[in-house]
This record gives sequence, structure tokens and C-alpha cells, in this order.
Amino acid sequence: MRKPFRARAVGAILGLALVATACGSGDGADEGTPPEGDPIRVASFNFNESVIVAEIYAQGLEANGYPVERQLNLGNREVVKPALEEGEIDLIPEYTGTVAGFLGAEASADSDATWEAASAAWEDMGITLLAYSPAQDKNAYVVTGETAEEFSLTTVSDLQSVAGEMIFGGPPECPERPLCLQGLQDVYGLEFAEFVPLDVGGPITVAALEGGEIDVGLLFTTSGVIAANEWVSLEDDMGLNPAENIVPAIRTEVVEAYGDDLVALLDSYSEALTTEDLTAMNARADLDQEDPALIAEEWLTTNGFFE
Amino acid sequence: MTTWESVQEFLSEPTTWSGPDSIWARLGEHIWVSVAAVIIAGILVLPLAVWLGHIRHGSGIATALVNIGRAVPSFGILAIAFLVLVQMGAGVGEPWAVLVALVALAAPPMFTNTVAGIQAVQPATIESARGMGLTEREVLTGVELPLSAPLMMEGLRIAFVQVIATATLGALVAWGGLGRYIVDGFAQQDMGKLIVGAVLVGLLAIAAELGLSAMQRATTPRGMRPAR
Repeated sequence: MRKPFRARAVGAILGLALVATACGSGDGADEGTPPEGDPIRVASFNFNESVIVAEIYAQGLEANGYPVERQLNLGNREVVKPALEEGEIDLIPEYTGTVAGFLGAEASADSDATWEAASAAWEDMGITLLAYSPAQDKNAYVVTGETAEEFSLTTVSDLQSVAGEMIFGGPPECPERPLCLQGLQDVYGLEFAEFVPLDVGGPITVAALEGGEIDVGLLFTTSGVIAANEWVSLEDDMGLNPAENIVPAIRTEVVEAYGDDLVALLDSYSEALTTEDLTAMNARADLDQEDPALIAEEWLTTNGFFE
Repeated sequence: MTTWESVQEFLSEPTTWSGPDSIWARLGEHIWVSVAAVIIAGILVLPLAVWLGHIRHGSGIATALVNIGRAVPSFGILAIAFLVLVQMGAGVGEPWAVLVALVALAAPPMFTNTVAGIQAVQPATIESARGMGLTEREVLTGVELPLSAPLMMEGLRIAFVQVIATATLGALVAWGGLGRYIVDGFAQQDMGKLIVGAVLVGLLAIAAELGLSAMQRATTPRGMRPAR
């Protein structure tokens, strides 16, 4: 049976559109053939900043013709690290100090040394840490302006006299983490009256701090909500937190499969990303509920990676 | 560390047995919120359900309600209730959002079973009660309610067991209960804590099932009990 003309026309237009899109996705790529191979599975942790940075990686790779699959908002490091090591995911934005601690390597305030220690520790598991970004995000121990004034708090040490009557709120994994309750106890000798399990620097922790259900909350130094609420991020005066540069952690076999072009591309994003960028982007995602994918796209455009 | 060892380790920690995160505290929170949710649901829906059953209307509403109840995810209600209530000034860690979600879960089966139970009473039985000179109120309390008790109790049992299982979600919005062990155990990759939490919820649900089944038998009028 002959197809009516209209149906064929629609088919032809659809076909053209498909070809056009296929060409379009190669836009930002350098001259030459697009890279081929298995899709790169880009993952993120379960908080906005990680999703935004992962989106930067994913969109940048896509624009340069790499096949990409997203597994964003996957979970905390306890979930993500085994997934990366066992090859369920390929690429995730990591934090040098925390991951070094997780791998049992020496983390310090020195960015280079911390990166080297983490790299060396992860190498044997088939994971490569690419060059780190100047952008850093550390754990922040945050109190409200009123609390800071009432107990004249500016540093974490200042909590020593009052922690016994205070309630600390953070993610459920906090009691087992060296940069959370464990470190606050070991380094600062802080024993809080109570720990309340909330979320990972997200809306529940913010609401609990706002409502006074907790006195001290675990947020991130790049959290947009701290400045917006005129809260006080207590200074880590005894250096509990190591350097926390953002760094792409990627399976070594993926680096080998795609080669130097892939590394150069991710390096260019790491180089351009700053702590100020993170803070500004987090504020947009956390406070204004903007879509992390759009925020990432805008960052790529502003920084000249997209036209 | 094997799974069994991690369970033993969790059970040997002193904080497991005393304090705000102990099994007793979490069990207590879990039970009182579950019981409260079922009681509130009963107060909200039973009067209407009994009336609709008595006038022999509303089986269509009952079916629609139970279908909607099945389709709406408790976690969705919980998340919305949490955000709305916090904006209205409720504190993080307070049980109100959990109660809202659990009441919404418990109400449909209790409503439906009550309407269906009363409507299942034989019209001939009610006619003879009226013929004996019973008032409408006496027909309801003396004939319809006792005869529909087994079905009403079944609605309560279904609701309560579902509520106990679902109350675990409360830990995702910073409330306590036995779900705390599941959520924290998962976040900390503490298999022992996770397994103890899951098993305790299961045991509690089984206990509720057995207890309410016994009550269901006890409230069945003698003439309706199956012959031994």
C-alpha cells in the first residue's frame, strides 16, 4: 500500500531532524572524528554542589562528542566509593581531603600533598585522580547569628565551654566520620549533649538550624544559605579540615580508553572552577531552587566553553 | 567483618540499650506514633463510614477512596507535609509530618471495611430488628455494629500493620522511630544497625498482626464464629 504523501513528508522531516541533532551534538568538538567507546557514566553525591559539578563534566563531555550516562544524586561516599571501585560508575567530582581520609591516606592543609596522598592510595584500585581545581569546599560548623552573639563564638574552639549543652545536627553518617563528630571530639575535645541525624547540608539541616532544634549544624563552606541568613561559619582554628579541592575521580581504564583529550578537557574545567563560583552556584540551587543542569550550562557558557 | 558479627557488635554497644537512640526509645516512638495515627484516622473516618453504612449508601465512595489510598505514595505525602509544616512553624524532628502521612495511609482501609461490614448485614436481619420495635439507633448499635465488627477489626488490622511498616519513612525527614536504624545504618554502611532495625520493624508488624487477629476473633459475636 502506498503511504499518503503527508506521512512520507513527516517521515522525511523527522529523518532530517535526527541527522541535524546528531550533527548538533558535535558542536563544541575539535576538528576530527568524535571519540568512540563505552558511555562515560558520570555520577554525583547526594547534594546540589556535587550535582552541579557533575553536570559541568557531563555536559562538557557531551558537547565534545563523548557518550555520557548520568547517575546523579547517587548517595553518600559510603555508597559511591564502592560503585566507582567496582566499575558501576566512571567519573565523579571528589574532594581531596575527605577522600584521602576515606582511603586511610594522610590529609593536610597542603593541597598538593593531600592530592598526592589520595592519588597514590587510590591508584591500585584502578581509580585516577586528575588535576585538582583551586575550588575548595570544606565542612562548615555553623551557628545562627544569635547563638554566635550569645556565647561569643567565632571559632570552633570557642564551643569547648558550651558544647556540653548544645545539640549538633548533621548527616546520619556524621558520628562515624573523622571530619565530623569524631574529629570534633578528637581534635577539639567537643562532646555535644546530643547528635541529631538530619541531611547532607540540605533543607532539613537548614530548617533545623532556623527553627532552633539544633544549635550547631554541619553545612559546607560554600553553602549559599550561610551568608543569606547571616549565620556564622565557625573558624576551624585547630585545622581539623584538610584541603578539600574538587577533583575529578575517574576509572583508570576510562582514561586509557579515551586518552589525553579527555584528561585535557576535564582539566580545563577544574582549572576554571573557583570557590566563589561554587558558592554562587550553590546559592542559586539551594535558595532559588534553580535546576542544577541549567546552572552548570550557564557556567560553561560564561567561562567560554560553550558558545 | 561478617554480617552476623556486625549485628553482634551493634547489639553489644551500650547506646543500643540505653539513651535516646536505644532500641527501647526507638521502639517506643515507633509504637506511639503508629497507635496515634490509627486512632486519629478512626476518629476522622469512622463516624462517616458508620453513617454511610447504616443508610446503605457510599460503597462507591468507599471503593474510590481505597483505590486513591493505594495509589498515593506515603513518601510523597510525608515530604510535602514536612515542607508545609516546617514553613508553618513546626520543628524539625517533631512527629507531625509522619502523623499526617500515616493517618492518610490508615484511613482508607478502616473506612472501606466499616462501610462494607455494615452493608454486609443481611437486610432481613435488620428488618426483623425493626419489626421487633428497635429504634434506628438500637438497630445500629445492637445489630449492625456487632455483626460488622469482624470486618471493621480487619480494616483496623490492615491499617495498623501498614502503618507500622511505613512509619520507618519518618527517619528520612529527621524523625525517630525504628526507621532511624535503617536510614542511619545505610548512611553509615553499618550492616548490623540496618539489619536490627529491619528485623525489629518486621517483628513489631507480626506482633500487631497476631494481637489484632486475636482481638478480631474476640469481637466476633458468638453466633458468627466458625464452628470448632
